[in-house]
Amino acid sequence: MSAGRVFRASAALEASALVAHRGFVGLTALAAVSFLVLVSLFGLTGAYAPVALIDRDHGPMAKAFVESLGRAHHSFALRNVTEREAQAALGTGRLVGVLTIPEGFSKAIASGHTVPIEIQIDNVNVDMTEDVQRALPAAIVDFGHRQQFPGTTTRMVEHDVQAHDTGYIPYLVVSGLALDAMVIAGVLGAMATAREWERKTVTLLRLSPASRAIVLAGKLSVSAAVAFVALMLAVVVIVAVYGVIPIAPGTTVLVLGACAILFTALGAGLGALLKRTLAAVPFVFGLAMPFYVVSGSLEPIRFDGETIWRVAHLSPVYYAVGALEWAFHGLYVTPEPIYVDLLVLVGLASVAIVVTLGQLATGASR
Amino acid sequence: MTSTSESRADAPPAVLASDVVCQFGRIRALDSLSLSVMPGTVMGVVGPNGAGKTTLINVICGLIRPSRGSVHVLGSDVQRHADAVRARIGVLPQETALYDELTPVQNLRFAAALYDVADADARIDEVLDLVGLSARAGDIVRGFSGGMQRRLAIARALLHDPPLLILDEPTVGVDVEARHQIWAHIRSLRAGGRTVMLTTNYLDEAEALCDRVAILRAGQLVIEDTPAALAARTGRCLEIECWEGKALSQALAQYPGVLRTEIVDFGLNAYLRADTTPEDVLRRARQVCAVEGFRSRSPDLVEVFRSLTGSGAAS
Repeated sequence: MSAGRVFRASAALEASALVAHRGFVGLTALAAVSFLVLVSLFGLTGAYAPVALIDRDHGPMAKAFVESLGRAHHSFALRNVTEREAQAALGTGRLVGVLTIPEGFSKAIASGHTVPIEIQIDNVNVDMTEDVQRALPAAIVDFGHRQQFPGTTTRMVEHDVQAHDTGYIPYLVVSGLALDAMVIAGVLGAMATAREWERKTVTLLRLSPASRAIVLAGKLSVSAAVAFVALMLAVVVIVAVYGVIPIAPGTTVLVLGACAILFTALGAGLGALLKRTLAAVPFVFGLAMPFYVVSGSLEPIRFDGETIWRVAHLSPVYYAVGALEWAFHGLYVTPEPIYVDLLVLVGLASVAIVVTLGQLATGASR
Repeated sequence: MTSTSESRADAPPAVLASDVVCQFGRIRALDSLSLSVMPGTVMGVVGPNGAGKTTLINVICGLIRPSRGSVHVLGSDVQRHADAVRARIGVLPQETALYDELTPVQNLRFAAALYDVADADARIDEVLDLVGLSARAGDIVRGFSGGMQRRLAIARALLHDPPLLILDEPTVGVDVEARHQIWAHIRSLRAGGRTVMLTTNYLDEAEALCDRVAILRAGQLVIEDTPAALAARTGRCLEIECWEGKALSQALAQYPGVLRTEIVDFGLNAYLRADTTPEDVLRRARQVCAVEGFRSRSPDLVEVFRSLTGSGAAS
C-alpha cells in the first residue's frame, strides 16, 4: 500500500469537495477580513470621541495648555468650534464634552492665580466621562511642569519593557488573526471530518485497508492550505489597508502556517465528535467570540486578574495570540515563553487528531 | 449446488464464522452463530430488521470485534489480519457511502488509491462499463437515482477485483427496474466464479440469487440450506379454495400428513409432508366442506420463513 498515493488521493478528494462547496469556502475566507473589520471597529469605537475646545483667551498659556492636553493620554479628539456650535452639538449628542479656557487665562496664570477650567460632559457613557476625568489632571500636571510652577516637582521617567510602543489597532488586528485562524481553519477542519459521517463515507474509510491516519492527513492538508491562503489574505489587508507591517515577515508566515495547521486539527476533532457540519460550524463560530475576548486579544490578559488569566488558558486562541503578537510585533503578551504557547497548541492539536482517529475507527452500526 | 461450487467443495470456506457472539450491553446481536460460505457460491442472509444481518456483515469485515468466537475470511483470521482481509473483500454497505458532490470517476479514483489498484484509470473504465454507468462517468453523483448510486457502489466494491463480495441489502430503496439490473450484475459475478454474500429483507431476492440461504432471527441462525431444501422442509403447499377455511384448518390440524395450515383469502393453504399426497388431504377436506378448487405447488421462501420462525413475513 503506497502511503504517498493514499495521501495524494485524499488531498485531491478534499480539494474536489471544497471546489464543490466553493461558495461556503469563499464565505468562510471572507470571514477573515470581516473579523478584522469587526475588531478594528471595536478599537476605533471611542478612540476619536469629539470634545469641543473653546478658547476665550487666545494667549500663550492657553496655547501651552492645549499642547499639554494633546500630550496627555486620552481617547478623544479636540475640535475648535464656536460656543454656539458647541452647545448645539452637545445638546444633540454629537459631542462628548465642551472644554472652555476662560478669558484672561494667560494673564491669571502668569500672575500666579489658580484658574478653573470648565468642562461640560455628556456622561451618557461612563468610559468617556472617566477618559476626560483622567486626561485633564494629567494635562494640568504636564502644563505645570513645563511652566515650572513652584511645587511641581514630580515627573514621569518611563522605562519600556517592550522594545517599541504598539498602537491599539495594530495590536487588535494581529490578535484578530488568531481569531481568523480559529474560525477559518476550525470550520474547514470540522467540515472535512463531519461530512464523512453525514455522507456515511466513514464506512468506506473503515472498510478500506488504507491507513486512516494518512487519509486524514491528506484531507486536512488541503483544509489547512486553504485556511492559510485565507489568513494570508487577511495579512495583505492588514499591511495594505491598516499599514501595519510585521517586524519579522518570515516568522509571521511560519507562525500563521502553524496556526492554520493546528486549528484545522482542532476543527477536525470537533467535527469528528459532533459528526454534523450543521452542529460543528455554528459551534466554532459560537466559541470564537468568548475565546477571543478571554485570550488577551484586546490587551494582555494577564492584566485582567488572576481568575480571568487562568480561564484564558482553556482557550487555544490565548496561545495563538501570544505567538502571533510575538511574530508580528515582537511582543511578549503571555507570561509563558513563546515555545510553550506553540507546544500547548501542538499538544491540543495532537489530542484532537487522536480523538478524530478514534472516532473514525470505531462505531460501526449494528 | 452448482457444478462450480461442487468442484470447489474441498476448498476451505470463503467465510467461516464459528460460535460468534456479539453482545452490546444487554442486547445480544449475534448469539452463538456459526456459518460457512463456500467459494464460488452466493450466500443469502435473510431475516427481519434487527435479526443481526448487518452485525454479522460488520463482524466479517472486521468492523466489530465479537465478544466470543472467531471469523476467518479467505483463510485469514479477521481480527488478527484485518487489513489483509479488507484488501481482499469488496463491500457494498447498506448506505452507499459515496461522495455525492463528486463524479463517479472521482469516487472511484479515491477508492483505487485506498485499495492500491494498479492501472486505475483502465480499471475504472472497466467497472463503470460493467455496471452501465460509463455514459455518466463525469456527472455529479448527487443527481443519480438510488439505483444508479447502488450500481456505482457495486462498481467501487469490484474495483480491486476482490474474490469475496459482501453486499448489505443491495436493493433496498431502489425501484423494480433497478432491482432487476442489480440482480443481473450479481448473477454475472457469480457466473464469474466470485463468492458473494448478501443480506436481504426480501425473500424473493434470496430465492432468485442465492445458492444457499441462512435465516437469522434474534441473532441466531435458524437454518442454513439451499432454497430447494428449505422449501422441502416446509412441505409442498396445497391451496384449497373453500368458504370454511377455519373449520377446515381445525380438521386438517389433526391430519398426520399436514405439517401446518394457514387461513388465506380464498380458503386455506395446507403444507404437506413429503410422504403425503394431495389427494389424501383433499379427500379429508371434502369430508369437512365443499372444495371449489385446489392447486399443489412448491412453497416460496416467505412461507419457508414463516414456517421456520413461526412469524409473519420477513419483509
